Amino acid sequence: MAKRGMHISGYFPRLGLASLILCIISGIILTFYYRPMGNVFQNVEEITTLVPYGWFFRQLHYASGQVFVILMLLHTVDHFLRRRYRVYSVGEWNLLIVSLGLCFFTLFTGFILKGDKEGIFAGQIFMNILKSVPFIGAPLSKLFMVPGEGFFFLPYLYHCFFLPVLIIYFLRAHIREWLPDHKFLAFSATGLFLYALIVRPYMDIPPDALVGEVKGPWFFLGIQTLLKTMPATLAGLIIPGLFLLCLLALPLARKEGRSSAPSGQQGREGTARLGEAVLYYLIVGALCAYGILTIRAGIRGP
Amino acid sequence: MRKGAGFPRVGHAERDMDRRGFIKKGLSRLFYIFGGAILAYPALSFMTFKKSRTEKIIFHPDEQQSVLNFKEGVCLVRKGSEAYAFSMRCTHLGCMLNYGAVSQRFQCPCHGSVFDRWGKWISGPAKKDLLRVPFATEKNKDIVVTLDI
Repeated sequence: MAKRGMHISGYFPRLGLASLILCIISGIILTFYYRPMGNVFQNVEEITTLVPYGWFFRQLHYASGQVFVILMLLHTVDHFLRRRYRVYSVGEWNLLIVSLGLCFFTLFTGFILKGDKEGIFAGQIFMNILKSVPFIGAPLSKLFMVPGEGFFFLPYLYHCFFLPVLIIYFLRAHIREWLPDHKFLAFSATGLFLYALIVRPYMDIPPDALVGEVKGPWFFLGIQTLLKTMPATLAGLIIPGLFLLCLLALPLARKEGRSSAPSGQQGREGTARLGEAVLYYLIVGALCAYGILTIRAGIRGP
Repeated sequence: MRKGAGFPRVGHAERDMDRRGFIKKGLSRLFYIFGGAILAYPALSFMTFKKSRTEKIIFHPDEQQSVLNFKEGVCLVRKGSEAYAFSMRCTHLGCMLNYGAVSQRFQCPCHGSVFDRWGKWISGPAKKDLLRVPFATEKNKDIVVTLDI
């Protein structure tokens, strides 16, 4: 239930859950017409221009998905900045961080499934980054995407089935009430419905059109910029992977310090505190740098 | 008073039970690890299998008249008696390149790599020349380019 005078932190997850419900409902409706085989671009254009209310459900699905993930990001950043990761066990915190990563991956697969030039190129780049991993690259990329006719099929399977199931499974203990509070649901629904009604869908670029510059999804604009100057494995996998590892290791440093405290090893506790502080500021620095890179790429192009 | 009274005594039977429990637990874990590994191999082989397929792109004689001839992501070059074909996919991360008729260069719209009209790398993160693709000339002068998909 919504509490009177609730701290702003309490709004992120509640509004996020309401957006998730709207995203799932609109997604289920879209699956009745969307086909991941054949001419996907034409299929998406038909949804937008031909199928009754297709434009509305497409916009609603897009907006609710984006709002859900952005609110989850804000929720995590809020907990991180208030050092609330200390109240979670290492396993719980890791599950939540992995879930956030999976949420972004779901957005990314949705971006590919548009079937336009940007989506195809994003999928192609992702596939080739995976292929650049030494030894296991080729089979690894085939787990997510294969070229040719079935290009959109695996991202579709991930977007509609594997990822939502995994995210809900990982969050099952974290979300106490799965039915959103009616006030938050009403607020989210009104906002998102208005957005879907007023804002026309973004003009998709046909796959065979000539364009000077192709941009990835907003959250990968920073990586797109890095890819211009760094090797694909480093910019696309190692740097994001290291950032994720720092986030995952954060409560571990704290736990090490706490577990050594009763035995009187103050030196170890001090080292653990120092480790936690270093990790914390490293993550803050990386987040700020990535934010600046993303904004710059958004304004000037990657 | 009996020696050792007041302390919990661990008998042989209990110790045996602990040992047995430990071995049982260990064996069951090993069973799951090996079972998982045995299942994982065929599962991964199945999931990553891809039937090799090729695509043929045919340049009919009237489509081979220019120095550079473009069709379905392939560029066929005719330089006097020399002829070769290359893929228009960027050698960096596979985006389809744009050809600028004025600059006479291929440019990647994703990460900005630039190649000259003959497919040689000039600048950007790609570092490698565009990939040459095999082709054959048929009796009716059609040039058939074969691409692995």
